[in-house]
Amino acid sequence: MALQATIETRRLPTSQALARIGRAVRSNRKATAGTALLAIFILVSLFPGVIAHDNPTLDAYAPHLGLSSAHLLGTTAYGQDIWAQLAWGTRNVMIIAFTAGLATTAIAVLVGIAAAYLGGLWDASLNVLTDVLLVIPLFPLLIVIAGYAHGGGTLVLIVVITATSWSYTARQLRSQALTLRGRDFLEAARVRGERKLYIIVVEVIPTMTSLIVASFLTNALYAVLFASSLQFIGLGDPNTVSWGTMLYWAQNNAALQTGQPLWALAPGACIAALGAAFALLNYAFDEIGNPALRPVRVRPLKRGKPRA
Amino acid sequence: MRYVLRRLGFFILTLWAALTFNFLLPRLMPGNPALAMLGKFHGNLTPQSLNALEILFGVNTHKSLPTQYVDYLHQIVTGNFGTSLDFYPASVDSVIGGAIWWTLGLVGITTVLAFVLGTGLGIVAAWRRGGRLDSVLPPVFVIASAVPYFWVGMVLVLVFGINLHWLPYVDGYYVATDTPSLSPQFIGDVLSHAILPALSLLITTIGTWILTMRNTMITTLAEDYVRMARAKGLPGWRVMLDYAARNAILPNLTGFAMSLGFVVSGAILIEYVFNYPGVGFMLLQAVQGEDYPLMQALFLLITVAVLVAILIADLATALLDPRTRAAS
Amino acid sequence: MRRLIKAGAVLATLTLAGALAACGASSPGSGGSSAKTTTLTISNENGALWTCDFSPFNGSDTLLSVGLVYETLDYVNPLQSGKVTPMLATSYSWGAGDKSLTFTIRPGVKFSNGTPMSAKDVAYTFNLLKKYPALDLSGVWSVLSSVTQTGADQVTMDFSAPAVPWFYYIADQVPIVSQAIWSKIANPVAYPDTHPVGTGPYLVNPCTSANITYTANPDYWQAGEPRVKKIEYPAFTSNNTANDELANGQAQWGAQYIPSIASFYTSKSPDFHYWFPPTVNVSIVPNLTNPLLGNVKVRQAISYAINRSQVSSLGESGYEPPANQTGIVTPTFSSTLDSSLVAQIGNAYDPAKARQLLEQAGYKMNSAGVMTNAKGQQLSFTVINIGDYSDWVADMQVIAQDLKAVGIVVTPDNLTNTDFEADLYYGKYQLAFYDQQTFGPSPYYELNNWLNSADTAPIGKVATTNYERYSNTVTESLLNQYAATTSTATQQSIMNQIQQVMVSDVPIIPVVEAVDWYQYDTASFSGWPTAADPYAQPSAYAYPDMEQVLLHLQPK
Repeated sequence: MALQATIETRRLPTSQALARIGRAVRSNRKATAGTALLAIFILVSLFPGVIAHDNPTLDAYAPHLGLSSAHLLGTTAYGQDIWAQLAWGTRNVMIIAFTAGLATTAIAVLVGIAAAYLGGLWDASLNVLTDVLLVIPLFPLLIVIAGYAHGGGTLVLIVVITATSWSYTARQLRSQALTLRGRDFLEAARVRGERKLYIIVVEVIPTMTSLIVASFLTNALYAVLFASSLQFIGLGDPNTVSWGTMLYWAQNNAALQTGQPLWALAPGACIAALGAAFALLNYAFDEIGNPALRPVRVRPLKRGKPRA
Repeated sequence: MRYVLRRLGFFILTLWAALTFNFLLPRLMPGNPALAMLGKFHGNLTPQSLNALEILFGVNTHKSLPTQYVDYLHQIVTGNFGTSLDFYPASVDSVIGGAIWWTLGLVGITTVLAFVLGTGLGIVAAWRRGGRLDSVLPPVFVIASAVPYFWVGMVLVLVFGINLHWLPYVDGYYVATDTPSLSPQFIGDVLSHAILPALSLLITTIGTWILTMRNTMITTLAEDYVRMARAKGLPGWRVMLDYAARNAILPNLTGFAMSLGFVVSGAILIEYVFNYPGVGFMLLQAVQGEDYPLMQALFLLITVAVLVAILIADLATALLDPRTRAAS
Repeated sequence: MRRLIKAGAVLATLTLAGALAACGASSPGSGGSSAKTTTLTISNENGALWTCDFSPFNGSDTLLSVGLVYETLDYVNPLQSGKVTPMLATSYSWGAGDKSLTFTIRPGVKFSNGTPMSAKDVAYTFNLLKKYPALDLSGVWSVLSSVTQTGADQVTMDFSAPAVPWFYYIADQVPIVSQAIWSKIANPVAYPDTHPVGTGPYLVNPCTSANITYTANPDYWQAGEPRVKKIEYPAFTSNNTANDELANGQAQWGAQYIPSIASFYTSKSPDFHYWFPPTVNVSIVPNLTNPLLGNVKVRQAISYAINRSQVSSLGESGYEPPANQTGIVTPTFSSTLDSSLVAQIGNAYDPAKARQLLEQAGYKMNSAGVMTNAKGQQLSFTVINIGDYSDWVADMQVIAQDLKAVGIVVTPDNLTNTDFEADLYYGKYQLAFYDQQTFGPSPYYELNNWLNSADTAPIGKVATTNYERYSNTVTESLLNQYAATTSTATQQSIMNQIQQVMVSDVPIIPVVEAVDWYQYDTASFSGWPTAADPYAQPSAYAYPDMEQVLLHLQPK
């Protein structure tokens, strides 16, 4: 997870920055692939009925069926259509990814940037909190919390993951915010007499857009991995339809050993694919970050053509 | 020296935070989950064991929170984690003692292997910048890093264990026919059972090493002293290893410390998929069996292990890289 | 740098070499059984390592000692309607009014330390249970008033009230210990008994936390027995390992739940077999104090709405057969089943009839597909379940779908074992899914627990076994009459009336039948219990039945 913070040497208005990102995404192959993949998953989560016509929870068919045109991935030991479960489960996964991803990033933005700007005791104590949470191994921590809570539904998973995963991003945002502190445009704002909150919200945060977006992608990815892992080991709600719970039921029925490998491998492959989408986008952002948001270079005028 | 003291201080602080968290969590959960657990013991505990558990979980006590906290810390420092529920009436310490060697073996050896192989591959990739290895590796491993650990394990189980019957894929050894001893048969049994889990862990963790090493190598290779070494006419591999790699590897050490948490997490799920009898698998069993004393102790153990590893990595970096010492 | 890389390469090569060597060394290979052997290995996952405690009075240790090392007065076979095989007692007789029971003790039996076993030890054992109620696992002193040695080889037990069914617990479930040893123990309740001395066919030799080895007792009172000279009982901490090693042929006697057993186990060798004899009902337990569930027509509708065969085939992989509303577990107790009553029930799965019953009770389907009555009350309930039992969770999913089809909405609430039991015992639930924990030689044992008003309690107090809060004096008197008679004809007539109660009052709704888990490998041993020859409960954890299995087995 090698996120390299990109440092702007000159501030651009938000709209222009976003437009540049958009253009860069289209021109970078990794970014295009990642975006396309992500878009597919988002579409499936919104309209799962389009690709899967069966009810995912109904034990409607004969169990242990193999691949066929009626059942693209066969059926589970309970007679449910695996393809339908995969499609409908996407919704639960995307909800977790986006909600937990956004919430985690939001908390990280709050803590990281506040620490950088409030300075002093605030900075010191938030820093300590961040660093401590950073080194405590997250997955065992999640397991213990979920264990005491006897597992829980999607909401519990989101809350638990959000509460523990924000530290890495907070630290990154803080370092970048610190480097920005001395920049001219911020000095200018301060001299203008703007309040600290205004500076943070209107000046600083937009400048860090690329890092924040990249962090969101990482946090979403880890939210999906953690949530699926917790569901896999039985700490989620086994009655929800999700990729992680599919893994749980497959494991409980020794799917691999009893000739139903797709039941276990398909959800894992989806998690991998979604993760790859996030990772590709992230990697692309690393590459894009520098050239796209570099200070504007004056392009030589082409005869007769207006400047682009 | 100040650096060392700072790292030690941070270590103690984080340790204290983990202990305090462990203390607070059962007391914060609605309807203290430990009460129900204690009920399961059916009053078969010795008064000392019962007292130990009550201190750990804060049940049946009218003492104030600060007093409980002091008692708790005292108990942890003396290593008394109470009695295990799953393995009743064995003490938690004795139960963990058995499992820890499996994890140390699996995770320890695999991490070293991943580090060595990954670093090696990263060096080669950077040295032959633009070559086939270099252009293939980064995207492959970016994607590989997003693959969940357990999925790799499952694929290996299916292919090598179930379809090809080449290797065993359940537990640490054949429990029904072998007894733990130093005989070659037992050791062979253990090794054959370790191959698939180790391979899963290796495949999923090696990517980070390769990429980080490659990236830092690329930066280092652009440095002047490397160019100077090449200009002096030193053989290529000597420049690569003795000049560039030696310096490029330093950030990897800090990266190693940071990623240790992930290795531990990944190992937990791999132990689960392979039923490998290490501390990770035991943690999951403790959770499923509501064995809170064992769960608590394992969490602390895993956290302390990671913290110690990070401390060692930090101190090693300070030792190897004078710049770190000077920076503080 | 170079050195580091070299070291890494060496390490990698060593590991690879070692592993390759290992491939050849061990691995018995999967599929097909192991070589012929006279050592029997048991695969029974206990989830923990062995403590090497063998106290026959400690519920966690009984499966390791009672039957193997210690013996009981008789063997009573629950699968053959209580057929009695004399063990330490050669005969027994009931006294006047069935208020006393006299056993004649077998002569010439010795404890494994050489001391003879006699009526003195029998009387001592029972009085030990009286003195220390924590040792009385079956609660025999709840019906006994005294146990005395009444002759050189006779022991008489007096009952406070007739309790004929308790013969099973007294004769089959109380292990006989040596007075010489146990009278010297200061605290028998905490006594670990790490070197057990009993009259049984096996000795513990040795026990480690990973494995227990039992060797044949050379002085066992049955000449020529046991023929299986050695037993290995490894400690499995996970189900997967136990299943895997059974499928590899490394263990020959399994007591495991194996998913998709055909592809996992029996397809691997023609010698691999399994048999799951049904024992008790797994039922939907309605809280009868709930105003909506208190209406018998609603409960009858629930019973007719459930497709029990589907629950059995989907939720239990077909291992646990469908139950029936009479509460009689078939085929184990088929002889007790009142066939005319079964004919009266008609088709057990009849959603149309279910809807009809609900309409008779004043309910109509609303726009959301939920049955609602005139007062606006909907038939929508939560059902508590044990989240750890994934097959029960799967059962409930099928049941919920079946009930939804007739307009009853049930929402599963999957709890931990402890939370579930707490809610169940105190009556804090609407519907629950559970089975009784006792099994005996007739349906009486289970049904008495469900239906006897003595075992229930108001909401907020602990009900010992009658969780649904069923209270009916007529039923209670029937059950007490059953307990007071030894006449099989009277027992059958009472059982028929109990079945009628189950069908008319619907106090619980049996769905599937819980089973004993049992796998066996015929490659090296013959004489296994089967459906055709159910001479004992076949699970390795059933005591003292496992002794009977071991005495029947012989190496091929």
